[in-house]
Amino acid sequence: MFNSPLEQFQILPLLSFGANLFDFSITNAMITTCVSLIFFIFLFFCLSSYGLNCFPTRWQLVLESLYISTAGLIWDSVGPQGQKYFPFLFVIFSFILISNVSGLVPYSFTITSHLIQTMVLALTVFIGVMIICGSTHGFHMLSLFLPGGTSIVLAFLLVPIEIVSYIFKPLSLAVRLFANMMAGHTLLKVIAGFAWAMMGSGGLLLVAHVVPLGVLVILFGLELAVALIQAYVFTILSCIYINDAIVLH
Amino acid sequence: MLVQAAKLLGAGLATIGLAGAGVGIGTVFGALVLGTARNPSLKDELFRIAILGFALTEAIALFALMMAFLILFAL
Repeated sequence: MFNSPLEQFQILPLLSFGANLFDFSITNAMITTCVSLIFFIFLFFCLSSYGLNCFPTRWQLVLESLYISTAGLIWDSVGPQGQKYFPFLFVIFSFILISNVSGLVPYSFTITSHLIQTMVLALTVFIGVMIICGSTHGFHMLSLFLPGGTSIVLAFLLVPIEIVSYIFKPLSLAVRLFANMMAGHTLLKVIAGFAWAMMGSGGLLLVAHVVPLGVLVILFGLELAVALIQAYVFTILSCIYINDAIVLH
Repeated sequence: MLVQAAKLLGAGLATIGLAGAGVGIGTVFGALVLGTARNPSLKDELFRIAILGFALTEAIALFALMMAFLILFAL
């Protein structure tokens, strides 16, 4: 018998501190966050940029290709004004990528499959974008809510729609990443559950359990692609929002 | 009992939204194939835009999934 496919998303306290309102207990989510932040990002970046050389080592090549692809992404979508936001977007990209990929390791924990984590990232981007927009344009920023060339009558209809779509931008940014991760991991668990149940029932099904197992392997490849694509999409949408804030429209 | 049955029905009905997402993803990649066939030199740039369009469309499908989960577990 296997457990519910959603059981893998539970946050379990490993060491309990504090009371219910101020709960500082060390959970599996926190440990995974620390591991992916400290171990992967810090250690990986430090080690692969150690002793930089004209003839790069393999690790340096990985780091360089990450750097160049993110830089190219920002250059294509924001242009020269966006270059000062490069460090932030690079950290966002590598954090999401590494937490997505490390979540695919069996028995680990996916940080980005929790709405609270992706919402924090999306709201960070969004509040930053609003500050950029406000500091560069002042009150002129309100023209975000009014597409150019609309008549007064149409404005009464368009402004509420634009405001609602503006509010839903960070929400959809967060929910996209969260739902992709959660759906993918649930799917993997369900397929693995098929194989497990077939293996347990014996007889002819014991042989046939290879079929869902093969599907599981294929889906795992798909999930690896999704982990990369979602990190990319989160970064490129952040770039587009920053571009909207700088240029208005 | 009746509420439980209604929940299951509602969660099943929420997956109808996936039909639209299927059409959308098909349109995105169909357009990618057409565009690449007309101008193969733009392949990389078109692919990047198509991936973005794919992710935006897929998110709509995942909203339907979210509704199904909300109906099943949160209400």
